[in-house]
Amino acid sequence: MTSTTTAPTTSNSAMADFNRTTSRWGQITMIGGLLISVAGPLYLVFASGLDIGPAQLWIAFAAVAATFGIIWIVEPLTYFPILGPAAMYQAFMIGNISNKLLPAALIAQTNIGAKPGSKRAELAAVVAICGAAAVHLVSLAIFVGLLGSWLISEIPPSVLLVTRLYVLPTVLGAVLVQAIVSMKQPRTTVFALVVSAVVVFVVLPLVPSLATVSTAIVVLATILLAWIFRGKSAVAEARPIHIE
Amino acid sequence: MHQPLATQPLATNDSADILAIANNPVLWICVAGVFGVIIVQSVIFMKAARRAAPSVEMSAQDIKTSFRSGAVSAIGPSLAVSLVAIALLGLFGAPAVLSRIGLIGSAAYDVSAAGIAAGSMGAKLGDASYTQSVFAVAFFAMSIGGAMWMLATLILTPLLRKGDAKIRSVNPAAMAIVPAAALIGAFACLGLSELPKSGTHVLSFLVSAAVMGLCLLLAKNLGKSWLREWGLGFSIVIGLSAAYLAVGPAVGA
Repeated sequence: MTSTTTAPTTSNSAMADFNRTTSRWGQITMIGGLLISVAGPLYLVFASGLDIGPAQLWIAFAAVAATFGIIWIVEPLTYFPILGPAAMYQAFMIGNISNKLLPAALIAQTNIGAKPGSKRAELAAVVAICGAAAVHLVSLAIFVGLLGSWLISEIPPSVLLVTRLYVLPTVLGAVLVQAIVSMKQPRTTVFALVVSAVVVFVVLPLVPSLATVSTAIVVLATILLAWIFRGKSAVAEARPIHIE
Repeated sequence: MHQPLATQPLATNDSADILAIANNPVLWICVAGVFGVIIVQSVIFMKAARRAAPSVEMSAQDIKTSFRSGAVSAIGPSLAVSLVAIALLGLFGAPAVLSRIGLIGSAAYDVSAAGIAAGSMGAKLGDASYTQSVFAVAFFAMSIGGAMWMLATLILTPLLRKGDAKIRSVNPAAMAIVPAAALIGAFACLGLSELPKSGTHVLSFLVSAAVMGLCLLLAKNLGKSWLREWGLGFSIVIGLSAAYLAVGPAVGA
């Protein structure tokens, strides 16, 4: 097995320049994207006349962090060996990594015959992600921004209402199946489903005040059970965990 | 309780109002900002890659091929993401959908974060309790979640670049088990929480789950990987159609 050195100290000054530029501007643009993306909701919360206290925001943040906090850290860790440092700054800002950016990078590398892990492969991935980003921005602007907004104004109110009411269970039904299938951990899946069923159908009806922390309880309990009862085979390798 | 029609945002339960604040011009400006940042980043990275290419024996043609390959392979997935995004427009409005589901995040995480945030206010997305304030907090939760991903990337990438041994030597068993357990646990709980809401919720959930299962099965057995990309979009559309047939136009009454 070759070492996963994606782009450490390079003797090549052109690549060193590439690393410097992408690292510097990757960070600058990502911080910019981060600030702009949080500015929108903060404006709504504090400047549009809604009566929302900071406490509500902290509670919401804590509830989300308790559910996805681990993933926030693990995902960049597992993607780094595949993407390399430069593409990390692109991927985590553009989003939809596993279903769009990774295939784009892999196809580009294959098409120019770049060996995985090589510098050519790293450059090909960065360029391919630029290409993917261009297509993605255009299709979002046209199909969601223009066509979608028009569609919303044209469809009958009853359809809009049904969409609003039931889109959540349809997203979550599909995503749950996707998560179970892509993780390939039957034992963990059983723990997750049993714990969730107990919490949702038994605990919550008895103690409704736990609703805010129910997901966090299930996440924690599933991790503990999966860890305590882990099989030998589970010690394979850490694959990227990402669901789209 | 105040009178419902007072100019008090919390008291306006009219769900149509969500789209009124969801399409606030400031939010559109922020979406344009995110688009702009990604464009600027892509231009800078393209230029840097072009400059470095000759030194690793990468021709101008290779660069062109890479760009085109990336662009072409992104067409399908981008349309698939657009379909999912359109289905969520009624819930979050175009600016939030464009910046959260279309870019930065993804449907699975952002819809979940929004649902969790709404739950923390004792509300449910989409029904009468989904007020403007709930929307604002849900949007905040999605965005701050995405911000945490970016923050983790900003902190970890330089460390990983240096090849920090400590990070690389994280127990592989823990790395294989813990994240998967967290994800399946989270989506299992969020998914099952939809079931007690109504029979139509159960139907939507089951139909969508079945469609996704079928898509993944066919993708595997027939080798049609585009089914995997479109799975979520198909599941949502067919699940919503089932819900519409079940409740009928009566829902508007």
